[in-house]
Amino acid sequence: MKTRIFSLAGIAVLLALCIAAPQMLDAYSLGVALQLLSWIALTQSWVTFSGLTGYVSLGHAVFYGLGAYVMALLWQSAPLWEILLGSGFAGALLALVIGYPALRVSGPYFVILTLGLSEFFKYIVIAVEAGLESSGRLIFGAPDPETLYYIMLLLAVVATLLTWGLARSRWGAGLRAIREDETAAETLGVPVTFLKIAAFVISAFIPGVVGAVWVLRTTYFEPMQLFSPTTSFTIVTMAIIGGSDRAPGPIFGAAFIVLLSELLWARAPHVYLVILGVLLVSFVLFVPKGISGQLAWLMRRRRA
Amino acid sequence: MDQLASTQLLLSALVLASIYALVALGLNLIYGTMRLLNVAHGELMMLGGYTSFWAFELLGVGTLWSMFGAIALTAALGALCYVTVFRYVVRNRELAARLESNSLLIFFGFSIIIQNGLSIAFSADQRSYTYLNGIFALGDARVELNRLAVLGVGAAATAACVLFFRFSRLGLATRALIQQRDAASLVGINADRIQLLVFCVGFGMAGLAGSLVSMTETVTPFGGFPYTISAFIVIILGGLGNLTGGILGAVLLATIEIYGVALTSSAYRSILVYGVFIAILFLRPQGLLGRKMR
Repeated sequence: MKTRIFSLAGIAVLLALCIAAPQMLDAYSLGVALQLLSWIALTQSWVTFSGLTGYVSLGHAVFYGLGAYVMALLWQSAPLWEILLGSGFAGALLALVIGYPALRVSGPYFVILTLGLSEFFKYIVIAVEAGLESSGRLIFGAPDPETLYYIMLLLAVVATLLTWGLARSRWGAGLRAIREDETAAETLGVPVTFLKIAAFVISAFIPGVVGAVWVLRTTYFEPMQLFSPTTSFTIVTMAIIGGSDRAPGPIFGAAFIVLLSELLWARAPHVYLVILGVLLVSFVLFVPKGISGQLAWLMRRRRA
Repeated sequence: MDQLASTQLLLSALVLASIYALVALGLNLIYGTMRLLNVAHGELMMLGGYTSFWAFELLGVGTLWSMFGAIALTAALGALCYVTVFRYVVRNRELAARLESNSLLIFFGFSIIIQNGLSIAFSADQRSYTYLNGIFALGDARVELNRLAVLGVGAAATAACVLFFRFSRLGLATRALIQQRDAASLVGINADRIQLLVFCVGFGMAGLAGSLVSMTETVTPFGGFPYTISAFIVIILGGLGNLTGGILGAVLLATIEIYGVALTSSAYRSILVYGVFIAILFLRPQGLLGRKMR
């Protein structure tokens, strides 16, 4: 009970700090905070599907890129909120369409298929843009960083609550059962196909909106960059380092990597990436439950 | 339509197919025997490519010799990789439970390390050299000698590997391990030794492929990724773990790529390749030659 109150108080303080942040931070730090929140939202949304079901998706960037594309196409032709929701629904719709055939395959087939799908849609968008004779789209009159920050904060909170709620729910138990043994789960009456597709669609909504917000931040849409597989890879790395089975995981993972990249990226990008690679390998080998899993374990041990 | 029947296109398709077959072979071996997804395969190719590039630039050694160096280097790396990391991974019960995704992540880490290690060591410059660039006329087609070398060596190495795994004692043991892991151990096959062999051969073939490719393409630290993807498409087309199927997959992908681009435009190359790949997995989830799962 006592720890419960402590952690609730901790969350409240953290949230208050996040809300007050734009008043305290300079422009550069606000940019970093925005980036951190976007990674938290993206990684949480990945965990709601891939973390729980064990279907490792390397195609999360496709929803992100699609959301950004919708925003770049519709900007200033409709109110901001409507386009943001539209971007989210675009991601969810794409997931619904590709979900059924894609989720029939599992294991390595699924991993490579998601990467293939993501690249496929990237090149489709590039071809469409080339057909329209557009080479990159500039966005004029984008909202100020502070507004974007609050939208992103909302997204990160919603994504975190989604993972938290789903992980504790009946659906979450079903999704974990799929991860542990899909055939056994099906035999016991878990509606595996429905659950997988539902989780896939839900997990695609958030990155759609995040992509739309992010393109307003950079004010430039370029498909090679926004559909880049690096985005998907970074999400997976953050989830693994943070821990992909519970809501605090992505927050730790995203914070850790954003911090590391702030320290090293500008000075020595290649060294930063080598360290990232070493960290990824070490976490998979020695800390498979990630930072959050390790912390939970340490706390349990101290109490015992 | 005339151009489609040309020897030139046929040769291009064959050269590409022989590279794809070789690259996919190494990937397939490691996946087939140990269920490990080596996404660093393209990076191993680049290591082989750099070996040949520096051998040519610094020592003046031709690729047809330095390719043995590339094989040795990458095979040694394979042995190191297996002994230090993967022997532990396959034995650890917790890690082995989700072997495929764990191996994917570990190899992804390796690929980042190799890419950026190469960038630190050799800079991100594109490297290329001219070797065996004489023109050989074959009917109405003209082809550079180095492309013929790629075709010859690639096809020979692939064939040698397939024959080795089909007929030799060690090769049969490996295939037994691919087909029935537990039963293979029961009849006294030393899984550890086979796995070490598979790592050396799989990595070595990637190094060889990279060395060959460096004759005709530029080598960069980040140039391996497209090959990794193509190799995955090839082995999924042919069925994971099916070595002969991989050759068929390579021919198929190369044909689609070369003839598809000739019919449309090079701008559509990626859409075409990924489109066919997705269509096949959507329609036949187990791959073209793959056996039905479960």
